[in-house]
Amino acid sequence: MRTQIHFKRLIRMLPMLVFCLLSQQLMAQTTVSGTVKTVGGDPLAGVMVVNPNNKKSYTLSDANGAFTIADIPSNGLLEFSMMGYRQITVQVNNQTSLSVVMEEDNTLLEEVVVIGYGRVKKSDLTGSVSSIKTDKINDSPANSIEGLLQGRAAGLQVINSSQDPGAGSTVRIRGSSSLRGSNAPLLVVDGFPVGEAGDLKQVNPNDIASIEVLKDASASAIYGSRGANGVIMITTNKAKEGITRVNVKHQTTASQFTKDLIRWRDPVEMATLANESRTNAGQPPLYNGAINAAGVYYPTVNEIASGAWPYFTRWDKVVLRDLPMLNNTSVSINSATDRTSFILSGNFYNDLGVYKADDYTKGLVRLNVDHKVWDNFTIRTSNTISKNERNYNNGRSYSRNPIWPIYNEDGSYFLTSINDQSHPVALREHSTNVTGGKDYLGSLIADIQLASFLNLKSQVNYKYGNTIRDRYNPKIYSADGTNNNGAAYIDNWEGENLTVETYATFDKIFAEKHNVNFMLGHSYGFGKSRFSNLAAYDFVNETLGNQNLYAGVKQETYNGYSEEKLLSFLGRANYSFDNKYLFTATMRADGSSKFGANNKWGYFPSVAGSWKAHEEEFIKSFDIFNEMKLRVSWGKSGNQGISPYQTLSRYGTEKYFYNGTWQTAIGPGYEVGREGDSDRFIIWGGIPNEDLKWETTAQTNIGLDMGFFDNRLRVTLDLYYKKTTDLLRESFLSLSSGYNKIWINDGEVENRGIEISIDGNVISRKDFKLSANFIFSLNRNKVVSLGDAVSAGLQIDYITGMKYEYWGTYFEQWRGTPNILAVGQPAYVFYGYKTDGMIQTTQDAWEQGLTGDLAKLGEFKYLDISGDGYFDDRDRTIIGDPNPDFTASLSLNGSYKNFDFEVFLNGVFGNDVIQQNKYGQSNTMSSRWTLDNPTNAYPSLRENRQFFFSDWYITDGSFLRIQNVSIGYNFQLKNVTWIKNLRISANIANLYTFTKFKGYDPEVGTDGIYWGGYPRFRKWTLGVDITF
Amino acid sequence: MKIKYIFLLFALVWISSCDLNEKPYGFYSDENFFNTPEEAESALLYAYNAYTLIEYTRGILYIGELPTESCNVKPDEGMGTNDLDEWVISSGNLTLQYFFKNSYIAINRANSVIDNVTESNINAAAKEEVLGEAYFLRAFSYFGLMRVFGLVPVQLHAVKNRAQTMPYLAKNMNELYELMTADLQKAETYLKVKRRVGRADRVAAQALMAKVNLHVASSKESNVQYYVDMPEAVNYYYDLAKEYAGRVVNQQSEYGHDPDLMRIYNVDAPTGKEHIFLLSMDKSGTNEGNFSKLGQMFLTGQASAYYIARPDGSYVYTRGGFGVFQTTSSFYDSYHNDDKRKTWLYGGGSGTEANLYSTPGGGAINISYKFSLKYVDFNPDGVKESSKPFLLRYSDIALVYAEAAGPTTEAYSLVNQIRARAGLADLTPGLTLAAFRDAVIQERAWELAFEGNRLYDLRRKARVVITDAKAQAAGVSEAQAAFYPIPQLEQDLNPNI
Repeated sequence: MRTQIHFKRLIRMLPMLVFCLLSQQLMAQTTVSGTVKTVGGDPLAGVMVVNPNNKKSYTLSDANGAFTIADIPSNGLLEFSMMGYRQITVQVNNQTSLSVVMEEDNTLLEEVVVIGYGRVKKSDLTGSVSSIKTDKINDSPANSIEGLLQGRAAGLQVINSSQDPGAGSTVRIRGSSSLRGSNAPLLVVDGFPVGEAGDLKQVNPNDIASIEVLKDASASAIYGSRGANGVIMITTNKAKEGITRVNVKHQTTASQFTKDLIRWRDPVEMATLANESRTNAGQPPLYNGAINAAGVYYPTVNEIASGAWPYFTRWDKVVLRDLPMLNNTSVSINSATDRTSFILSGNFYNDLGVYKADDYTKGLVRLNVDHKVWDNFTIRTSNTISKNERNYNNGRSYSRNPIWPIYNEDGSYFLTSINDQSHPVALREHSTNVTGGKDYLGSLIADIQLASFLNLKSQVNYKYGNTIRDRYNPKIYSADGTNNNGAAYIDNWEGENLTVETYATFDKIFAEKHNVNFMLGHSYGFGKSRFSNLAAYDFVNETLGNQNLYAGVKQETYNGYSEEKLLSFLGRANYSFDNKYLFTATMRADGSSKFGANNKWGYFPSVAGSWKAHEEEFIKSFDIFNEMKLRVSWGKSGNQGISPYQTLSRYGTEKYFYNGTWQTAIGPGYEVGREGDSDRFIIWGGIPNEDLKWETTAQTNIGLDMGFFDNRLRVTLDLYYKKTTDLLRESFLSLSSGYNKIWINDGEVENRGIEISIDGNVISRKDFKLSANFIFSLNRNKVVSLGDAVSAGLQIDYITGMKYEYWGTYFEQWRGTPNILAVGQPAYVFYGYKTDGMIQTTQDAWEQGLTGDLAKLGEFKYLDISGDGYFDDRDRTIIGDPNPDFTASLSLNGSYKNFDFEVFLNGVFGNDVIQQNKYGQSNTMSSRWTLDNPTNAYPSLRENRQFFFSDWYITDGSFLRIQNVSIGYNFQLKNVTWIKNLRISANIANLYTFTKFKGYDPEVGTDGIYWGGYPRFRKWTLGVDITF
Repeated sequence: MKIKYIFLLFALVWISSCDLNEKPYGFYSDENFFNTPEEAESALLYAYNAYTLIEYTRGILYIGELPTESCNVKPDEGMGTNDLDEWVISSGNLTLQYFFKNSYIAINRANSVIDNVTESNINAAAKEEVLGEAYFLRAFSYFGLMRVFGLVPVQLHAVKNRAQTMPYLAKNMNELYELMTADLQKAETYLKVKRRVGRADRVAAQALMAKVNLHVASSKESNVQYYVDMPEAVNYYYDLAKEYAGRVVNQQSEYGHDPDLMRIYNVDAPTGKEHIFLLSMDKSGTNEGNFSKLGQMFLTGQASAYYIARPDGSYVYTRGGFGVFQTTSSFYDSYHNDDKRKTWLYGGGSGTEANLYSTPGGGAINISYKFSLKYVDFNPDGVKESSKPFLLRYSDIALVYAEAAGPTTEAYSLVNQIRARAGLADLTPGLTLAAFRDAVIQERAWELAFEGNRLYDLRRKARVVITDAKAQAAGVSEAQAAFYPIPQLEQDLNPNI
């Protein structure tokens, strides 16, 4: 029997034997089994075991660390590899049972980080670069990666002030250094400078493998005139060699408000208070059972109280969804052989926002292929196509007066008057506002290894985007539609960007101690964008909306185009001696079509040095530091900030009516902005400034990297000083010039700060691991100069003589702008009056020089801080600062058996927020000042009060948020071999916020203005992640 | 082989590296314009268009009327209008600042036409037509500036770079006078009598020449600062005023006296005899400036819509406005009770004066003041009106003639023609020169009320403070009232003044 079986087996193996004989090699094949364990003796699952000479032969270790692999040459090799462990190769040596111990790879220092036009070992960095791991942050779904980076890197500030579907984020690195240009960092995706950070919707966050934040000049100056705001390098994931993997990841998020909506709950109270407000102003009451001048009937308070006016509408229920939901599904397939690898991934993202009929949908497909043409010549291509659609609901007013019903008895909309243009249901159902976008992001890379020490890389990148916005405003329900008897629009935009870059890298070690690395390159960028806006008005029939603009009686078209070119030469030299002393110098020359004729070329150098003290014997002798590295850098980078054609003379186009028709009028000077009440006055520009150029930021950085306890505790410390000069500003021209403004380079801003990042590997046991990461960032911003006070049109503070100018949003309620840029102060500080509660006695008013209506009891007690006996605009001063004192975050990461978890806290401290809608809120209105309630917290109600921007509106915006709590479970599926990995996760975003702020949420834009809107979401996400 | 690839790559790079100069796209600029008569005309219209901007159309009324006895301003109108009304003189006044700025925008656009067309290859006839209007516009702008601010910066060429943005202040009034009269003489020579609504022709140039000379003559006669230094005698300028006004009155027939008072103020009849130069605005426009809101500046906003009762028993419907210009009762009362300019051209009032009704014949709406109906478009398109500011009107020039000529038969007949249209008896015959001129000034106040002339009539007679109670209350002197200071922003930004 036995012989027979052997015989059968022999026959089955015959071809192999023949092959072996033919190849004249007699090689014994054997089956090897064994276990893989950690140094601590714990079994290791998921270790790839492979025959390095025949990669088709591989297996993975199971939950007990056991593996079996057949058909291995008995004198061959086995390779064991797993992420986070050192790869080892074992000689089989005729053994059939192996016990393998894998060492954890604690040497994070050997990590390679991506920098501009190259990669470098993390230990060899001379600049300040933060790396962000994306595995945990992706437990919460996002349309673009930026929103998830909040608190994840020292010096990186991310603000998510909008929660609307598809909304982007505000991203800053080391503060704001430009006043009129952009402050957003440059985003580079796999070597492609795609544009400003804020809304990278073209890349699925799940496709991102790592993110590097280039902060100091040594790291960012290689991007020249686009590097001043720092650079965020995004690296997408690559196929893993070996097997074909299919990954499916799905996340579903349900959101709830973290605070109650502010709305009127008691209509009698609402009407009574509204009447009180009118009466106090000497006006007839609003709720008086009569039709008012605007044609609106307001019932009396009694009618409401008695139920004679029966309507009470919960507009929040009408306007808002019960449960905003978000679904995010990604599928990817990747595979690699020794010559070709590819990733094909798709993503479908659907965000149903808080408003009904308000949503965002995106679909995305990415294909990456790498192919080795020859051993020394690789081509790579990456292509992403995506399509998105934003449905915007124009009917958003959940604060509409609850006494209005939705419908009349005949089913038509209840409109308060013919001019009622805010009926949310009518607007939702009859107006259209949809923006559809298509994006393509592609690159083609040729990588040639000319010699062991010389590499040449050439990359062609192309980006295309297009949006079409469809709008219709109906005749009856909207202001625009009423004025134009129906208004329909189609707005088209398309932009494209081509970058061609080629660079050669020389890398060689001489005499064992001198490591020399040079990079020389060239880059050419071309960008263009164009738009056409079509409008039609006056429709006989509205059923088509904007489908047929020709059906309108009147049509208008507008279009525009702009293009820009950037030509660059760049280089970097690295030299390290004995792996102790490292030097880097970079240089970039940028020529831009946008710069003036006299300043076409800008030069951006940087130098840096680093000392690995831990390589010195005397440091080693302390036996404290695993790493102790000092970094010093200095360099210059730029910010282009200007739009194309600013350096050319420019005519305007207008219409003039004569002889009964509109004639085209063309001449010198064109509209560059508007000013004044309702933007009624045009600001004229059009004289060229041939000297116009980039803004320059010079930055000095001193950093220290330290590792202790076998690198289980790592501390990175950075100090920086950034000075930005030649700020792009608009200078006023004399009135008699016939123009208002011209762009010039003038003014200075500085930022200085400290960044601390502490990583601790706290517990590292068999079943329980815990690491903590603490990040602290402090930035101090200061406006040093705003140029010549007169031509810059600066205001002068009466008390201190401080020079300032208004910046940002004008508020009709204050007839003023709350933010200023002031010399010697941080950017965007608040400028207004001081108050000390309310006027309780006539003495209070008299002492502060308040007269007239301002002197009444229950008015704001504005302070006469100038002490001149009058209350006037001389009594204004700086009353707040929206810039935080510091930001900090703490993440705790760990795993217990098959569970993994993260708790992430993020805090912003010491910033002020303007609660611009503080007066007249339904939840505080009853706390108003009255003779019986002489409060100092709120003024009396008075309809026609002229408000002034004062410290009464300002509150501390500090907050500490439990931003993210996530728990995952990794299933160990012993019996289901076709599933390689299965993880389910639960994530809660914005679990709780600790703050003194009284509005919905203190996370507001950089100007510190709180707009209200709706409360922050607490987002509950369930996710499943399967790999086949 | 590999080397080839490298060359290929570098070649690709090299081809892509083209020049960094920008070529304008989608907009015109100095490089690509002023080549044809059509382009020149288009640039000319751009200069006209500067006057349609809100800072000018409102400015001429704010400045021409508020500082006089004729009206009060809505309390929260802003832009320094209350200060104008109450004679708080400030170089920071925004209405004055925007008027100043706007005048130079018009000047720069006219200068650009003058500079470029003069140098272009356009044929001589077409050149003259365009240049004539450009010279007229430049003079018109300087005349506006001179009447408001006195000595102003002189900008004779289009501004093309930053260095040219700081012009010198005129040395004396004669420099401005010479500039304007030279421009107007060219305009008169180059232009024909050719009515086109919204554009100036030869008659407009003659009319403006008459006004400039009358302004200088009477100002010098009244010893107004700067004008007293004018080199010629007072009568030299009076004679010129009479000469040019005479050319308007006697040497053409396109424009003339319109016997129908209400047709003058019919916004849809811009080709009436009276209209020598109207600013063209139409309700079919898209932006304010293209269309007008001037009627609403007068119409009260105390009711959103109402009917106005006319003396003939008819009613006319109108929407409400902003109620900015509120006629003083003393000015309204100064009209003779039978004066049609009183009975037909004002709305509002209370008690027996009230002529606003919620429905025809319904309950009266009482408004504490009267407002002018001269600009009201009774057939507007929503808020858009076709009201056109009256920049040069025949009756104005007829009265210029009368004032310059003195009590001649022809002068009497021109004044009486206007009085007859208003339903008034003839002016007392046999007045002395001074009394006649005063009577003409008074007739101007009634006839040209709210057309942006009153302040300058008072200034050139040095009678601002005597006439306007608020100027007296503010304690300003006649000398202080004669000119507004150059706007502070100009003083700060232009080192050459």
